[in-house]
Amino acid sequence: MTLSFLIQKEFLQIRRNSFMPKIILLFPIMIMCVMPWVMNMEVKNIVVEVVDNDRSTQSQQIVHRIEASRYFVFAGQSESYATALKHIETRGVDVVLVIPPRYGRDLAMGKKPQVLVAANSVNGTKGSIGASYLSQIVTAQVEPSMSALQAKVATLNLYNKHQDYKVYMIPALMGILVMMLCGFLPALNIVGEKERGTIEQINVTPVSKWAFILSKLIPYWIIALIVLSVCFVLSWAVYGITCQGSLWLVYLLAALLALFFSSLGLVISNYSDTMLQAMLVMWFFVVCLMLLSGLFTPTRSMPDWAYLTTYINPMHYFIDAIRTVFVRGGGFADISRQIAMLAGCGSVMAVWAIRSYSKHK
Amino acid sequence: MDAVIVKDVSKTYGPVQALRQVSLYIEKGEIFGLIGPDGAGKSTLFRILCTLLLLDSGCATVEGFDVVGQLNDIRRIVGYMPGRFSLYQDLSVEENIRFFATLYGTSLEARRASVEAIYSQIERFSNRRVGALSGGMKQKLALSCALIHDPSILFLDEPTTGVDPVSRKEFWEILQSLKAKGMTIVVSTPYLDEISQCDRIAFLQEGSVRSIGTPDKVLAEFSHIFRPSGLLHESKEGTPESLRPSEVAIEVQNLVKAFGSFHAVDGISFQVKRGEIFGFLGSNGAGKTTAMRILAGLSKPTAGTGQVAGFDLGTDYEKIKSHIGYMSQRFSLYDDLTVSENIRLFAGIYGMSRRQIREKTHEVLERLEFAAHKDDIVGSLPLGWKQKLAFVVSIFHHPDIVFLDEPTGGVDPATRRQFWQLIYDAADSGITVFVTTHYMDEAEYCDRISIMVDGKIEAIGTLSELTQKYNQPDLDHVFTLLARQARRSAE
Repeated sequence: MTLSFLIQKEFLQIRRNSFMPKIILLFPIMIMCVMPWVMNMEVKNIVVEVVDNDRSTQSQQIVHRIEASRYFVFAGQSESYATALKHIETRGVDVVLVIPPRYGRDLAMGKKPQVLVAANSVNGTKGSIGASYLSQIVTAQVEPSMSALQAKVATLNLYNKHQDYKVYMIPALMGILVMMLCGFLPALNIVGEKERGTIEQINVTPVSKWAFILSKLIPYWIIALIVLSVCFVLSWAVYGITCQGSLWLVYLLAALLALFFSSLGLVISNYSDTMLQAMLVMWFFVVCLMLLSGLFTPTRSMPDWAYLTTYINPMHYFIDAIRTVFVRGGGFADISRQIAMLAGCGSVMAVWAIRSYSKHK
Repeated sequence: MDAVIVKDVSKTYGPVQALRQVSLYIEKGEIFGLIGPDGAGKSTLFRILCTLLLLDSGCATVEGFDVVGQLNDIRRIVGYMPGRFSLYQDLSVEENIRFFATLYGTSLEARRASVEAIYSQIERFSNRRVGALSGGMKQKLALSCALIHDPSILFLDEPTTGVDPVSRKEFWEILQSLKAKGMTIVVSTPYLDEISQCDRIAFLQEGSVRSIGTPDKVLAEFSHIFRPSGLLHESKEGTPESLRPSEVAIEVQNLVKAFGSFHAVDGISFQVKRGEIFGFLGSNGAGKTTAMRILAGLSKPTAGTGQVAGFDLGTDYEKIKSHIGYMSQRFSLYDDLTVSENIRLFAGIYGMSRRQIREKTHEVLERLEFAAHKDDIVGSLPLGWKQKLAFVVSIFHHPDIVFLDEPTGGVDPATRRQFWQLIYDAADSGITVFVTTHYMDEAEYCDRISIMVDGKIEAIGTLSELTQKYNQPDLDHVFTLLARQARRSAE
């Protein structure tokens, strides 16, 4: 009963706030319509410059292949290796391909002429992938049998046929959404009441600690649920991407993640006295949890000590599980371990949150 | 030559007209008071004169410099103390004053002489964090910071609001000595005794100057606001020797609250009778708020026992909460909710049904003649109304006891009188009232008074008992006598 008055108050305050309703509206649109295009790990538009010291038919063939490829932007040819290097610095060239003199002739004589691929590896991924694409082109040209060989190796991309990053990213983005709505907002709300002094007025009433905490969480849980559903609709309407597995499992996962982040937010708000402090501490944890979760990079390629942290990172379990359900269509049995671990992390945090909130100091 | 000339100045914030055609002049070397209720436009005028705000129309000069065109010249010669504490709470006393000195391109050593008189009073705390200072000390430090660049004119926006009477007296002694040195001082204050110390005052109301002149003349002209007729209230009989248990609302024995080695409340014992209005006085930092927080079940006592509304302080503090109302020092309603929404929320928390709440809200607002404003956002109301509402909300569920922590800070005498009428109504309906205040005239409205010094209760009794015992003409003198004995701030 008391709870209904408190929740009514929270919704009134959210509605009166000049920017909260806008944020809540803007958030799913931003997450679903902009982020999937931006968070793209494919390497495209690699700028290539060629130093052709041979000018034979063979070398021209390589140049044509580069021009034809959709991965490369051909930046033209230059006189010497030295000028090409300068262009890396001044014109944003990513890879320089140097074809040695007498390349065509040596090739015909059966010698093994060496082509140099110099890649700007300031952006490591772009550099290394660009260099390997280029060497593929060169090898295919030198030994047509190699491309024949490649044709015999069948690559089958399971579950995500076209290796579309959007399919891979959309479920993970939902994790970020839950994190923001259920973690940040209630925490900042509570610290805001502390700063204004109104929390004192609540503490002096017979409101139980449960009613107060739930009144802070329930509105944001409801909002997160609605926003999540809007996201599913958007992802279907905009990209035609739908959940392969059971939607209920996805909601269950989101609820468990919400429990964890809400509790983390409460713990932080209980120990912070100012918005600034709460914001920074929350930000610290959120960034760590996100970068160590495998959202952007495969966790297995982390160093061992960093990989160990993923065992206690709920975000990691969530992303693992939601990708299994959403992309592959896995069932409960496939993600039971992740669900158990998420529930575990969530409960530990929740107990801490309730313990650390005190009306009586 | 006049130090300040203000001519036909107007300023609006959106739909709100803060100043309407204000004209006044302030002579060099006088103490000029700006008087008026909250929202009258005093702070706006201060901010315009300190070049922090642009005026819409009219013109104003400070020491001959135009506030719009020559703001850099003005900023060099003006000292300004904004209404809220202007200091950095996390820095120490010395770090604060050095920081302000650096802002003006000088140093504490170079300007030592100009602040010596004030700074020497607080220098022994130079390593203490400002957040840990009492209100009176903070204001002295803020004044030192405003004086560090040797300004020729001082603007003080309610420098003594929320400060205890003894610290206020000391603060005004400093102002008088600055005046003697030829400084021009413009000050706003809600206290009558301070108003009387000004050379001339301007009374502002709703953005217009209603009257300018000597304090006596203006106070007489608007006596219905500044000197409202006394309140009729039958004072309860003197201090009883012993009370029957059923008559006791609050009882504590040897209550202690320690923060580390510091005893904020140091073994206090007293009784409050049912239906009584009990005034709980003390200087800033004497431990009043801490003691009140223990009684309201917000804070755990370190030692001692007691009962409030029949429940034990140590074990049943959650039960106490359903039988009391509490109005804290900081304004305690939700600014972004409407009047009726605030009432509904707090009444609902105390377990009233929605139907009961609707009926009683209507009835209470009718009685306050405030029904027309029931859907106004609380943040948009004047301070006096906010405080009356906060009080109404705190007794809406008809508690046994209501705790009021400095409920009337910063409002004019007429509004305070209306507030006290509400307190009397509540007391007549059987609610015990436990109130702290820095206004001695309000303390005289109480049935019984206690004066707290350094965490201990030094005196307790009715007004006449106290004045007789200490052989003083009035409560103000009793308070000053006792508070001046405080050792704690000197430690």
